[in-house]
Amino acid sequence: MSAPVVRVKDLAVNFQTETGVVNAVRGLSFDLEEREVLGIVGESGSGKSVTSLALIGLLPKSAEVSGSVQIDGQEIVGRSEKDMYQLRGAQVSMIFQDPMTSLNPVYTIGWQIIEAVRAHREMSKEDARLEAIRLLTLSGIPRPEVAIDSYPHEFSGGMRQRAVIAIAMANSPRVMLADEPTTALDVTVQAQVMQSLESALEATKAALILVTHDLGVVAGVANRVIVMYAGRVVEYANVDDLFEKPAMPYTHGLLGSIPSHTDDNKRRLSQIPGSPPTMTKAVVGCPFAPRCPMAQDICRTTEPSLEVVGSDPNGSHRAACHFRNEVSAMVVASMFEGIDVNDVATENGN
Amino acid sequence: METEMTTENLTPVLSVRDLVVHFEKKSAISFKKKSHVVHAVCGSSFDLYQGETLSLVGESGCGKTTTGRAILQLATPTSGSIKLEGRELVGLSRNEMKPIRQNLQIVFQDPFGSLDPKMTIGSSIAEPLVIHGRWTKEEGPELVADAMRKVGLDPAFASRFPNEFSGGQRQRIGIARALILNPKVLILDEPVSALDVSVQAGVINLLADLQEKYGISYLMIAHDLSVVRHVSDRVAVMYLGRIVEIASKSDLYNAPQHPYTQALLAAAPVANPKLERQRKRIILEGDVPSPSNPPSGCRFRTRCPKAQDICASETPELDDKGNGHAVACHFPEAMSVL
Repeated sequence: MSAPVVRVKDLAVNFQTETGVVNAVRGLSFDLEEREVLGIVGESGSGKSVTSLALIGLLPKSAEVSGSVQIDGQEIVGRSEKDMYQLRGAQVSMIFQDPMTSLNPVYTIGWQIIEAVRAHREMSKEDARLEAIRLLTLSGIPRPEVAIDSYPHEFSGGMRQRAVIAIAMANSPRVMLADEPTTALDVTVQAQVMQSLESALEATKAALILVTHDLGVVAGVANRVIVMYAGRVVEYANVDDLFEKPAMPYTHGLLGSIPSHTDDNKRRLSQIPGSPPTMTKAVVGCPFAPRCPMAQDICRTTEPSLEVVGSDPNGSHRAACHFRNEVSAMVVASMFEGIDVNDVATENGN
Repeated sequence: METEMTTENLTPVLSVRDLVVHFEKKSAISFKKKSHVVHAVCGSSFDLYQGETLSLVGESGCGKTTTGRAILQLATPTSGSIKLEGRELVGLSRNEMKPIRQNLQIVFQDPFGSLDPKMTIGSSIAEPLVIHGRWTKEEGPELVADAMRKVGLDPAFASRFPNEFSGGQRQRIGIARALILNPKVLILDEPVSALDVSVQAGVINLLADLQEKYGISYLMIAHDLSVVRHVSDRVAVMYLGRIVEIASKSDLYNAPQHPYTQALLAAAPVANPKLERQRKRIILEGDVPSPSNPPSGCRFRTRCPKAQDICASETPELDDKGNGHAVACHFPEAMSVL
């Protein structure tokens, strides 16, 4: 087996703020194999976007990054901005949530793709233009030879995001990062964009890290999934295992809170009581313990590490929970559903 | 509500007929006098019965929010009729409309923008009482406390300001404010789309409980098809200002007949990896046309895989195919896409 495309080891990101140090990400480790699609899911403030920015070296200067991120064997953490230019776009590229802010409104789509192509490849302007048309065709833009001379404002949201995908794939990177690539889009447009992302992966043979809060999108495209909570990885599994036998109560709660659009069953949705911890306080014990219906004394004193679930010989399914082998779907579901909204409100109310 | 339709709720609480809302849009920078008309809603008709949830779904620009605003007379209907308990609302003056609003309240999408940051949440919740002259020193505070308890908030928080609350709690405050007048109809404009999924679940459960207890009718405007299936009794799908299909929830999700409904359902991702791999995808070509220059005939024809000549020349009527399942398509065909 070849070396992984991305190897992250003990990544931690801290921010110094007026109210103290914010541990946005702690102890994050994973390997991304060639052509793998890794979904990183979590709710607001779980550290998923900070993680993706760290992977491409785009965190603000105020961020203190430690640990190691290797892309294709090259270390990102501590690399100079100048060296990052060589890597960004060529080895790793990024697709942001809002295509209007990631495209420059005063240049044509074609100009922006050609810029990306010529930044990393020796190519005449004419050849680069042909290459840009090829990239637009690949990402599913109708009439690419006309579209290439359009400005971003002439495109709809979905077309813009497909143009961004064309730029991201321009130099056949080893890995693409996509941070909520379809969140701002309508559902039929979302399907168009996901299709264009899939054909970009096909054409470039790149791996993908997909950061999202939408478990449906993850279920559709990811092979592996990381669930983040309070800046930590709390579960890491193959997509089927994660959805079928989650081992962390938080994952259970998250899956149980999604209404289903494939059945008419009007079961009560599970609600997770309370809110995530403020990241400025040092965490004692499991960060989810205050909200966890299964929490025991050990959960409040000792932070669980990410360990293999069950007797899986490959160790592909890991969870950070003292009771990862005892969590059963039934028990957790009933525990979450038995919660009274009044308790939730009182607990939340500062 | 799980209950079947019975004869007693056959008279609709809210009845909308041939609603048309056009906006005249003058170009701000053009020197030409020409203005163009945005056809936001074009001839929508539907009924809302007591204690039921009807959802309007569709993508950006389909007219679902405008429909909700027109019902509240926040957008002026160009033509058509809107009746609340038999009383016509179109054409009423502001003063005539005011008492009616007590039975017709709205919960907005953005829990951050819809609360005045300088008012305590207690005053925000009490404001509708004051506006409608129902506030008294004796009963007012108790009504506020009661509304807060109904939505799962501790009445002790009444003197706090919105910034002290999370998104989910603010949405509960918005619901308490809408409920305090005991309205018959509540318009829910994307009530959970700004919330994280675990918080969203709590608000959805709350809305279901309130409906069961007080028999309020909900007209929900939403784009999330999973949320819509969870909370609705009936669903209307809108495309470019028109209702293209309306049916009971199970008919609409299990046997959609309009090609647009089918594409919409097929495009929505499902949080189940095995199912996701089996599902067939319907990827629509192109984008939604501009509502200021909609296509002739069927408005979906420019993106429809089934379009024929007749679709351009004749507008398909919203036709009841039985069991209250109505479709506006020349070539309807039930198809399971989930």
